[in-house]
Amino acid sequence: MPAMSDQSLGVPKDEFLRFVREALGREDVPPAQPYPRLTDSTTDLEQQALEIRQKIQQNLPALLDKLADMAQKGGWNVFRAAGAEEAVGYLQDLARKSDLSAVVRSAQGVFDQVPVDAALTSMGLKVTTVLRDEANPRESLREEIRRSGMGITGADFALAETGSVIVLPRKGLSRLVSVVPPVHVALVRPEDVLESMDDLFLLRRLEYHQQGGEMGSYLNFITGPSRTADIEMTIVEGVHGPKEVHMIILG
Amino acid sequence: MPEIKTSDFSAASTKAIADPKLRRALDRVASGFHVARLQRIEEATPQVWDGWKTQAREIKAHTIEHLDYYLDLLYKNVTAAGGQLHFANDAKQANDIVSHIVRTRNIKIATKSKSMVSEELGLNPVLESLGVEVWETDLGEYIIQLAEETPSHLVAPALHKSKEDVAELFTEKLGIPYDEDIYHMAATARTVLRDKFMQADLGISGANFVVAETGTLVIITNEGNGRLCTSAPRVHIGITGMEKVIPSMQDLSIFLRLLPQSATGQRITSYVSMTTGPRRSDDEDGPEEFHLILVDNGRSRMLADPALREALYCIRCGACLNICPVYARIGGHAYGWVYPGPIGAVVSPMLVGLPQAKELPQASSLCGACREVCPVNIDIPRMLLDLRKKTAESPDRAQRSAPKSERMMARLYAKLMSSPRLLHWAVRSGRTLQRLEHLVPFSPVTKGGKWIKKAPLPLLSRWTRSRDLPVLPNKTFHELWDQGIADRPSDARDV
Ligand code: SF4
Repeated sequence: MPAMSDQSLGVPKDEFLRFVREALGREDVPPAQPYPRLTDSTTDLEQQALEIRQKIQQNLPALLDKLADMAQKGGWNVFRAAGAEEAVGYLQDLARKSDLSAVVRSAQGVFDQVPVDAALTSMGLKVTTVLRDEANPRESLREEIRRSGMGITGADFALAETGSVIVLPRKGLSRLVSVVPPVHVALVRPEDVLESMDDLFLLRRLEYHQQGGEMGSYLNFITGPSRTADIEMTIVEGVHGPKEVHMIILG
Repeated sequence: MPEIKTSDFSAASTKAIADPKLRRALDRVASGFHVARLQRIEEATPQVWDGWKTQAREIKAHTIEHLDYYLDLLYKNVTAAGGQLHFANDAKQANDIVSHIVRTRNIKIATKSKSMVSEELGLNPVLESLGVEVWETDLGEYIIQLAEETPSHLVAPALHKSKEDVAELFTEKLGIPYDEDIYHMAATARTVLRDKFMQADLGISGANFVVAETGTLVIITNEGNGRLCTSAPRVHIGITGMEKVIPSMQDLSIFLRLLPQSATGQRITSYVSMTTGPRRSDDEDGPEEFHLILVDNGRSRMLADPALREALYCIRCGACLNICPVYARIGGHAYGWVYPGPIGAVVSPMLVGLPQAKELPQASSLCGACREVCPVNIDIPRMLLDLRKKTAESPDRAQRSAPKSERMMARLYAKLMSSPRLLHWAVRSGRTLQRLEHLVPFSPVTKGGKWIKKAPLPLLSRWTRSRDLPVLPNKTFHELWDQGIADRPSDARDV
């Protein structure tokens, strides 16, 4: 479909804003006090980001404990792996228990550290990396994701405050890997951990400004399994997303 | 817009009170959401919680006061991210925008994640008339859609349905054997909708927040349907009210803390999905087009009225419904339109017009519980009183909420209360009548007890149809006072 001449349908922006001003009973004036956050310069944000990083460095063991605790409260099965070997062992056990034949994973740095493919293939599982190329168009990868019993991803960040895994758009990271298969495993490295949502949003704002107003098409939080309480307030896990979620903390 | 039944409030609420099944469902909500919410406040500590509330209110107040500025900023940034922002004055205009996109993009199947604004617009019938298959994907909304009903709660749309109701509905509409196991029913919905997510060309979502600084749409869900709706189809349309904008991404943390904890008592929902523009060339998934539609649809009436402006701070958490003694007895449907409960009693009259919904502001005992639980400190009782005043003083007599007889009674009451002599006379005559009434076997008024069950005279009997009045005491305070209550020793007074 060619670009349409519908950049703005409905009421033209200026007309709409005029109605809003009429309702507010005033002329077109910007806020008398500029909103504090919107005037931050990139340097301010960089300074704050530095402080966040230092704070995390100093408290890392405590933050990892808090992450594990909050993640477990949020519905994750948490496993603290001393090293890559333990992480792989846990995954193999899980694959055995879940009775799977196919696994999908994203293409992220953490998989260089944890050799997931070899370990699972040796058990006779089919492991597909969701990375688009000539041979693997989007549609066939989608089918692969739908057929898989488990999706394994890394995390861009992990929040100690809420026990959430944050995923951002990257080449090789389809959101569908973490939401479509019935089991999701997230591999979290100590360097992914942030203390709070405040930290996360500050870092994202910094990147947005550093990139000249671009922060990627999405930012998703995952905290525990998919669930609903829509029938008689009874909690059911695994509605549209995974029923079972595991967080492997490498450290 | 969906059918407006706000003027049937009296009849609908009377019917709802008498429905034992609804009562059980409402009890479940009250005990579930409300208790979990209190636990979260204890965990955060009430001081910290109050600090969050104050901060959230300040952000909302600032944004609404400068709504034009932030809408302009949002427009700039949605456009910069490659998305399109459309403004709609009313429901028809919003539906026309969606229809235009549907026709020009050749949309056949649409999946929807929960959106109260799309309920408000009555969007689904419009899409269906264009031949689009529309699938609500939130389990509660899916149930409501199959049953051809409207949501009865902001957060739990199908709460009025029992598991037996849902099982029957699934049997009737999906042609599957009757099975009232809740887990099986959820699995059925998963199977049916899984295919639809993958086939859909269009994903429609609401928005809990929209960030002006980056042009980002934020939705929170527990089921994962929101993520699927916004990432699988080739076109994404977000539809929401113009009041949902907040200035900066950093303002989000406070709302992401307050909203889920106030709504369901969860620390955070399973999913928070933030979308900024369409898929970029390197992304593995995501829509090719991103549209955001912001609707006024009566909101500027609230904006223009300083007494009601704060209703626009609402983040639709539903906490005021869960605590409200009136909602707890009549449920959501009696309110007659999309937004139920205390906040609905303010918002609906403003959106559909006060004359049509003049009974809603009366549906409150003004106990103040809603104000106390509100995460943005909205003073709902004050606004209900304001709306009552507006109706009572309406220049158009037909619009006034109270019948002529009630207004006459109120005038009489005012006279009585402002003249000690008249009051004294009235009490004495009343007592005489009361004594006479007690002589009658099966006394019709008090039934021999301490309460006036059915006041005499048609005028008064209306008042006692849903209330009891205490009987007149043997001695009034004035009479006791005259007898020297003031002279008694202080220890006796303390009793
Ligand atoms: S008025 Fe307050 S308590 Fe009620 S839904 Fe809105 S934000 Fe929640």
